[in-house]
Amino acid sequence: MPLEAPARIVSELTSRGYNAEREAVTKLASAENPQAALERVVDELPEDALVVRTDHVDAALSGADSRAADSTADSSAGPTGSTGPDANAAPGPPTNPSVSTGDAASDPADPDGSAPVETKGGGATDRSVDPELRSLEIAGDMTGQSTGTGEYEDFVAVFRDRLERLGSKLRGRVNHRPASAIQDMPGGSDVAMVGLVNDIRSTASGHWLIELEDATGTFPWLVMKDREYVDLVDELLCDEVLAMEGTLADDSGIAFVDSMYFPDIPRTHEPSTADRHVQAALISDVHVGSDEFMEGAWNRFADWLHTEQAQHVEYLLIGGDMVEGVGVYPDQDEELEIVDIYEQYEAFSEHLKKVPGDIEIVMIPGNHDAVRLAEPQPGFDEELREIMSAHDPQIVSNPSTVTLEGVSVLMYHGVSLDEVIAELPEEKASYDDPHKAMYQLLKKRHVAPQFGGHTRLAPEERDYLVMEEVPDIFHTGHVHKLGFGKYHNVLAINSGCWQAQTDFQKSVNIDPDAGYAPIVDLDTLDVTVQKFS
Amino acid sequence: MREVDERYFERLESRLDEAFDVAERAKERGADPKPEVEIPTARDMADRVENILGIDGVAERVRELEGEMSREEAALELAEDFAEGRVGDYESKAGKVEGAVRTAVALLTEGVVAAPIEGIDKVEILENDDGTEFVNVYYAGPIRSAGGTAQALSVLVADYTRALVGIEQFNARDEEIERYAEEIALYDKETGLQYTPKDKETKFIAKHMPIMLDGEATGDEEVSGFRDLERVDTNSARGGMCLVMAEGIALKAPKIQRYTRNLDEIDWPWLQDLIDGTYYEDAADEGDGEDDADEDEAADAESEGEGEAPADGDDTDEPQGPPRVEKSQKFLRDLIAGRPVFSHPCAEGGFRLRYGRARNHGFATAGVHPAAMHLVDDFLATGTQIKTERPGKAAGVVPVDSIEGPTVKLANGDVRRIDDPEDALEIRNGVEKILDLGEYLVNYGEFVENNHPLAPASYTYEWWIQDLEAAGADTQALEDDPRIDLEFPDPEEALEWAVEYDAPLHPEYTYLWHDISVDAFCDLAAAVADGRIERDGDGSVNGNGDDSVLVLEYSDPVREALERIVIEHRQRPDENRLEVDDWRPFVHTVGCEPRQAVADGAALDPDPDHDGDGDDPQEPTIELERTWTDDDLSERARTWGHESEGDNAIEAVNEVAPFQVRERAPTRIGNRMGRPEKSESRDLSPAVHTLFPIGEAGGAQRNVADAAKHAETMSDTPGVVELQVGRQRCPDCATETFKNRCPDCDARTEPDYRCPDCDESLEPDDAGRVECDRCEREGTCVEVREIDVNDEFRSALESVGERENAFEILKGVKGLSSTNKIPEPIEKGILRAKHDVSAFKDGTVRYDMTDLPVTSVRASELDIDVGQLQALGYEEDIHGEPLTHEDQLVELKVQDIVLSDGAAEHMLQTADFIDDLLEQYYGLEPFYEFEDRQDLVGELVFGMAPHTSAATVGRVIGFTSAAVGYAHPYFHAAKRRNCDGDEDCVMLLLDGLLNFSKSFLPDQRGGKMDAPLVMSSRIDPSEIDDEAHNMDVVSQYPREFFLATREQADPEEVDVEIAEENLGTDLEYTGFEHTHDTTDIAMGPDLSAYKTLGSMMDKMDAQLELSRKLEAVDETDVAERVIEYHFLPDLIGNLRAFSRQETRCLDCGEKFRRMPLTGDCRECGGRVNLTVHKGSVNKYMQTAIQVADEYDCRDYTKQRLEVLERSLESIFENDKNKQSGIEDFM
Repeated sequence: MPLEAPARIVSELTSRGYNAEREAVTKLASAENPQAALERVVDELPEDALVVRTDHVDAALSGADSRAADSTADSSAGPTGSTGPDANAAPGPPTNPSVSTGDAASDPADPDGSAPVETKGGGATDRSVDPELRSLEIAGDMTGQSTGTGEYEDFVAVFRDRLERLGSKLRGRVNHRPASAIQDMPGGSDVAMVGLVNDIRSTASGHWLIELEDATGTFPWLVMKDREYVDLVDELLCDEVLAMEGTLADDSGIAFVDSMYFPDIPRTHEPSTADRHVQAALISDVHVGSDEFMEGAWNRFADWLHTEQAQHVEYLLIGGDMVEGVGVYPDQDEELEIVDIYEQYEAFSEHLKKVPGDIEIVMIPGNHDAVRLAEPQPGFDEELREIMSAHDPQIVSNPSTVTLEGVSVLMYHGVSLDEVIAELPEEKASYDDPHKAMYQLLKKRHVAPQFGGHTRLAPEERDYLVMEEVPDIFHTGHVHKLGFGKYHNVLAINSGCWQAQTDFQKSVNIDPDAGYAPIVDLDTLDVTVQKFS
Repeated sequence: MREVDERYFERLESRLDEAFDVAERAKERGADPKPEVEIPTARDMADRVENILGIDGVAERVRELEGEMSREEAALELAEDFAEGRVGDYESKAGKVEGAVRTAVALLTEGVVAAPIEGIDKVEILENDDGTEFVNVYYAGPIRSAGGTAQALSVLVADYTRALVGIEQFNARDEEIERYAEEIALYDKETGLQYTPKDKETKFIAKHMPIMLDGEATGDEEVSGFRDLERVDTNSARGGMCLVMAEGIALKAPKIQRYTRNLDEIDWPWLQDLIDGTYYEDAADEGDGEDDADEDEAADAESEGEGEAPADGDDTDEPQGPPRVEKSQKFLRDLIAGRPVFSHPCAEGGFRLRYGRARNHGFATAGVHPAAMHLVDDFLATGTQIKTERPGKAAGVVPVDSIEGPTVKLANGDVRRIDDPEDALEIRNGVEKILDLGEYLVNYGEFVENNHPLAPASYTYEWWIQDLEAAGADTQALEDDPRIDLEFPDPEEALEWAVEYDAPLHPEYTYLWHDISVDAFCDLAAAVADGRIERDGDGSVNGNGDDSVLVLEYSDPVREALERIVIEHRQRPDENRLEVDDWRPFVHTVGCEPRQAVADGAALDPDPDHDGDGDDPQEPTIELERTWTDDDLSERARTWGHESEGDNAIEAVNEVAPFQVRERAPTRIGNRMGRPEKSESRDLSPAVHTLFPIGEAGGAQRNVADAAKHAETMSDTPGVVELQVGRQRCPDCATETFKNRCPDCDARTEPDYRCPDCDESLEPDDAGRVECDRCEREGTCVEVREIDVNDEFRSALESVGERENAFEILKGVKGLSSTNKIPEPIEKGILRAKHDVSAFKDGTVRYDMTDLPVTSVRASELDIDVGQLQALGYEEDIHGEPLTHEDQLVELKVQDIVLSDGAAEHMLQTADFIDDLLEQYYGLEPFYEFEDRQDLVGELVFGMAPHTSAATVGRVIGFTSAAVGYAHPYFHAAKRRNCDGDEDCVMLLLDGLLNFSKSFLPDQRGGKMDAPLVMSSRIDPSEIDDEAHNMDVVSQYPREFFLATREQADPEEVDVEIAEENLGTDLEYTGFEHTHDTTDIAMGPDLSAYKTLGSMMDKMDAQLELSRKLEAVDETDVAERVIEYHFLPDLIGNLRAFSRQETRCLDCGEKFRRMPLTGDCRECGGRVNLTVHKGSVNKYMQTAIQVADEYDCRDYTKQRLEVLERSLESIFENDKNKQSGIEDFM
C-alpha cells in the first residue's frame, strides 16, 4: 500500500494544493484502500474547496465503502504520553521527563486494515474541534514597530525604560534614594537604592563590590564575604535591575549591603488555566536545511498529531530556528542539505503542512533565521511569510507573549541562556538543566539582561525584553536540550530540537535532546513529553 | 680567507674605526646618557653572544669550543662551565642555571636575535610538594624568535645545569598537568601554533618534564578550568611556555634525544615514547588504550589511502600519464580586497615554472618578466611580495628579462608575446586578454630550502642546448657562428637542427600542446591541412625566409586552440582569417607537409584583379598535406591525459611530428599579491624629533614650542610642566638635576636611586639591580618634577646656535617609557627637526626597505661609474676581465648594499644632521660633508632587522630606483632575514654610534628587540641564517637535473652546487654564479599599483578588473573570496560589535561598558557617543552586493548578503518612517 501514514496522505494532498483537517486524514488513512479513497475524495471535492474536510471524506467514502463501520479499533499501539512528575514544588528539582516513544509504524492503518475506534458508526464527530472555543491573543509583538535607528540616544532610552519598568516592581519594597542623593547622606544612615548592576568585582580581601546605577549616577555597594547574601552575588548579571538595602559607611562613599531584592515572580503567583481540556505542543529549533535535520522524527511527530492521542493538541508553538539558515557560522555551506535560504523556508513550509490543518501555529524567529540577530528580533518579512503562508501561522517577534485560552506563554528563542549558563555556577544553570537557567531569567524579569556579551541588542524606544507581566508559561529553545519545571508556579519549558548532533556539538561535547515534543495541558499546566526519535 | 677578502674587511673596519673615534670623542663632550659609544663591535659570533648577554668570558670559551664541537654540544659544555663557576660570576644556583640557559639560546641563535634576553625572563628555585627544590624557567613571548630547536635545547640545558648544581627534578601536580593541556589548546586557538600536540601528548610531556616551564601571560583569553593554581601566576595562556612545549619539545624531540644520549647526568627515557607516539598512559597495561591507538592509526591509514587512491589509480591505470604537481589552494586563503590573484592553482595561462637563478634572485624570491609586471596593471613591482603555490609560501618579486614574457590578445585581434617592458606599456590599453603570463623563474635552491620535490621543468633554451649536445651536435661551433642566434633561431634553423640531429624541437617553436586535448589537436591539424600559404605582401620577412604567412579559416575551436598553445598569430574574424607568421615548425608539428605546387588557382579564379599587388600567378604556391589520419593515433596517444583521458595532445604530437617535441610548460604556478614593497623612513606614530617629554602641554601635535608657552591657568608660569623623569645627582657638588651633566659644575651626573618606602639612598649591584635590603623593594630614581620646558628649549636653541624658524615644528614625546626615564638633550631634536628627520624609540634615525638579494651588479644600473667601483676595491668583472666600462658585471662583495632613491635622499639628510650635530653640539669637525648622493658611495651604514638585537655593518655601493634594499644574500641572512617580502632598516653609521642609547629603550617586554645592542663588523658565512646556504651558485643546471624534474625527484638527490659547499673554504665569499642575467635590477614599475591607487575601492575595482583580463584567473572565485574573507567578516564583525559596543566620552576619553543611564559622562559630564556607528557597520554593504551581482557569485553568498542587508535595515531604519529614495518624489 503506497499510502499508509497520515503524513503521506497529507503530503499527497498538499502536493495537489489542498490542506486537510486532521479527522479527514484519519478517515482517509483508515479506509481500506486509502489511495483509491483519496483519489475519490479529490475527484469529488467542490471546486472552491481549499481544505479537505471530514464531510468531504464521508461523502466520498459513504457511497462506495460501508465496511469501514465494521472495522475494529486498534489504538493500543499508538503513542502514549505520560505526565511528568508534578512540579508544583517550585523551584522544583529537575524533572526528568518521562518519555514515551511514538511508534509510527503502528499507525491506524496497519495491515489488517482496521480503523480507529472513533470511526465506528460511520463518521463519529467527537474529535472534531470547535474553533469557537479557541482563543489566541498576541502581546509584545514588535514586528513592524522597530523605530530605533541605532543612535546613542536609542540605547540610553532602552536602558532607562528597563530601569523604569522593572524598578517600579521594587520601589515599593524599599525606601530607595537616588545614587546622587546617597552620597550626601550622613555616614551610618540606612539607605536603599534601585538600579542597574553596572559592575561586579571582588576586592583584595574577598568581598564583593557591586556598582548600582540609576538615572542620577552610580553608587558602590559592598557585599561582605561572610554575609548570607554573598551566594546571590554569583547569580548576578550586569545590567539586571536590583534593589539593595544597607548601611552607609562613615565617609558615605560606600554602603554595606544588608539585603538584596530582585524583581522576581511573586510567590503568590497563581497561573491562569484553560476552561477545557486542550493541549499545546511547544517545540523549537527545527533546523530544516541542515544535514542533521531529523526528517523521520518530524514525520512521526506530524503523524502522531493526526492520531486520537493527539486529539486535544490544538496549538503548536515554535520557538525559533525554523531553518538552519545561511552564513550563521564559517563554512556552513558544507553542512547544508539545502543551501538556498528560500528553499530552506519552502522545505520548512512543506514539513509544516504535514501538521493537521486545524492546529493553530504561532512562531518566533531564532538566531538561525533570516532576520536580524540583534534582539528583539522582528518576525519574518513579507517574502518569507508568503513562503510559509499555507498553514497561515501567526508569525511574531522574538520575544512575544501569546495567550491561549487565558494561559499566557512568553516565547523567547533563548540566546541569552548561553550567557546565563556561562556566567553562573553550574548548580544554578547548566546545559543539562536548561530550565534552571530560565528560572534565573524569571527572577530577573528580563529575557536577556547582560549587555555587551553574547546577546546582541538592537535599541528600540522601549525594552521589549522586559517581562512586565508574569507569564503562566515561559517557553525557550536554542540550547537544544529538553528541560522543564516550575518556578513560583510559572512553568518553564526549554524544548529540545529536531537536529541530530552536529560536528560542532560533538567537539564541545553537547548531546542534544532531539526529536521530543513537550505537550502542555492548558487546563492543568501538566507536561507530557512525546518522543519521536 | 683570500687576501682580497681580508683587504675588503680591513677597509670596512678601518672606516668603522675612524667613525668610532669621532663618536667616542663626541660622546665624551656631550650630555648623552653614557660618555661612550653604546654599541660594542663584535668581530664574530662569540663576541656577539658575549655582548648580547653581557656575561664576561663567554666569548673566549665559545671560541675555544668552536673548532672542536657543534654549537649544541658547546652549549652543553658551557652549561658545565656555568655550573662549576668557571664562566660567569653567579653566586646562586638559580643564577647559574639562568646564565647557562641564556647562553645556550644565544649560541644557537648566533647572538643575533633578542630571544636570549627578552625570551627568558628569569629562572627561579621553587619547592616541590615533598620539600625538595626544583628549577622553574620563566619564558616570555620573544622566545619565538629563537626557533624550535633552540627552545627545546634551552630546556635540556636547564635540566643539565640543574643536575650539575644538585637540584631535584620537578614533580608537576595533577592540576598543573591538566592546566598545560588546556592552556596549549587555548593558545593554539587564540594565536596558533605550527604544531599542536594532542592533549594526551601535552600531559605526557608535562608529567615527565624535569623542570617547570612557566611564563608570562601573553593573551587576554583565560583558561576555564584549572584556574588560580598556586604555582601558576596567571589564568591566561603563557605564550612563551606554550611555544617551548609545543614547537620546542614536542616537535623537536628527536633532536634533543641525540644530545641526552651523550649525557650521563640526565636521563630523558620518555623522549623515546614521545617520538614513537606510545605516550598513552600505561599503554602496556591497558588494552583499551592501545586498541584505541591502533584504531586511530588504522583509521588514519585508511583515510590516507582513500585520499591517495585516485592518484594511485591514475598511476596504475595509465602508468604513462604526464608528470604533474598537485594543486594547492592554500595561498588563496584570506584573500584581501585590493590584492589581486595572478593565477589560480596550476591554471593554464598562469606563470610557467622555469628553473634558474638570476643575479638578483635566489633567496625566497621569484623572477617575473618586467613586461608581465606592467601588464598586470602594475600590481607587481620589484620587491612586491607574492603568496605562491610552490615551492615556498611567499616570495619577493624580482624583474628578470632574460625569460619569456607574457602573451596577450589585443583588441585588434593580434596575439603577441611581449618581451619588452616598453612594448608592454605601449599596448597595455589594448589588451583584451592575457593568455599567458610568461615564465616565472625559481632557482633550484628554493626547492632544497623548502624540501619540495622538484616540479617538472619547462622546456627551455638551457635544457635544449644540452639535449642538442647529447644528440651529437657540436654546440660550441654553433655558438661561435656569428650568423646563428642559438637562443632565438629562425624557424628554418630550428627545423633543420631538429631533423638533422634528431634532437627535440627548439623551445622557441615548441608550443603548449599539452594544454589542448587530442580532439582539439586533430581538428587543428585538419584546419591546417585546409589552410593556405599566402604572401602577405607587406614585404616583411617573417622568419620563413620570405614573407609568407599561414592562413587558416576562422572558427572558434581553431582560434581557441591557437590561443591555448600560445602561438603568436592574428585573428581577423571579419575576413574569416587566422594568420600565423612563423608557420613552418608549427605546420610540421601538427603533422603536415608543405609541398610546392604550381598554382592552378588562377584558372579557377577568373578574377582578373591580379595586376595590382604584383603577384605573379605563375609563381609556385605551397600546399599543405596532412600526413596522418585520426585513426593513425595509438591508443596511448588518444588517452594521454592528466585530469581526464585525452586532455593532453603531447603524445599525439610526438606521433605525427617528424621530430621529438617536449612538454613546453608542464608546471604552472599559482600566486597572488601579498604585501606591497616598502621604502620609507621609519617614524614613530606620531613622528618624534626628540625623546624629551612634554606631557600634554604640547597638545596633540606634541609641539615643544607650544609646550614652552603652555600654562594650565593664568597664575601658572608658562612652560613649566610637571613631568616624570629620572633624578640624577652630581657626584662633585651634589646638585640634583635630571640631566646627564651637572648644570653647575658640568661634571657627569649619576642616577640617584631611592627606596620608594624608606627613601634610603641605594646603589645598584653588579647585575644592575637596585633593591632596598630593608624593605625588599626595588629602588627607583624616577620622580615627578616641574621642568621649565621654555627655558630648556630656549637654552638648547642658543647652545646649538639655531633660531626657531630653522624648522617647522619640533615634536617631543608625551612621556618616557624607559626604566630610568632619562630625557635626550633637546639640542639633538632641534637639529633633527632642522633636517627633517625623526627619531626612533632608541634615538636613531632609520629608513625601512624591503630586502632583495643580488650577487652581481653593473655600475650603470647603480648610477655610479667604473672609477667609483674601482675605488671600492672592485678590480675585475665576473669573467675575470679588467673593469673598464659601466656595463660589466662585477660580483658583489658581501657587505655592500644598494640603497633605494628614497633611502639615499634620507641618508643625505641624516648626514647633514650628523655634521651639524658634530659641529654645533659636540664642537667637533663635520664628518660627512656630502654634496650629492654620489658622496654616499663607500659610506658605512647599519643594517638592522626587527626582532633582532644585532646590527650588521654594510657599505653603500650605489642606488636603484626600485623601492627596495638590494644587498648580498649573506648580508640579509646575517640579519636573519630572507627576501620573501621581509623588510628591515638602515641607519647611517655615525648616527647609530652617536645617538643610540640603551637608556632610551622602553622597559616593557620586547623593548630590547629591534635595537642595536651589538654590531657585527664582518660577516662570517658560517654564522648566518643557514637558509642562505641553500642558494645555488652555478651558471648552468645539468641536463640530468631537468630530466630528474620530470621524475619529481627529491631536490637533494640532484647534483647542483649550492653555497653550503664553499663554507669554511677560501671560496666562501665568492663564486656566486647565476644562470640568468637581467638588464637592470630595477625594471617594471617602481611602485606597485597597490600603493599608487587611492582608496580601498579603487584597489578592489582594479583587482577585479584584472581578474577578468587574466586567462588563468576565475574572476567569480576572486569575487567570492573577497566577499567571503574581507567584506563578510567586516560586515558581520562590525554588526556584532555594534550591538554589544562600548561607548566613549568625546571630551575626556573615558570608556563605558554600557551607555550610562544619565546619558552624559560620569567622569566629566561630557558628551558620550557610540564607538561603532552605522557608517562603519555598513560601509562595504552596497559594494559587496554590487560585486556579488556583477561577478555572478553563488546564491549562497548573495543570500548571506541579502540577509545581512535586511538586518542592517532593521536596525538602522525606522519602520514607521522609512527613508525614502528619490524615486518617491519623481
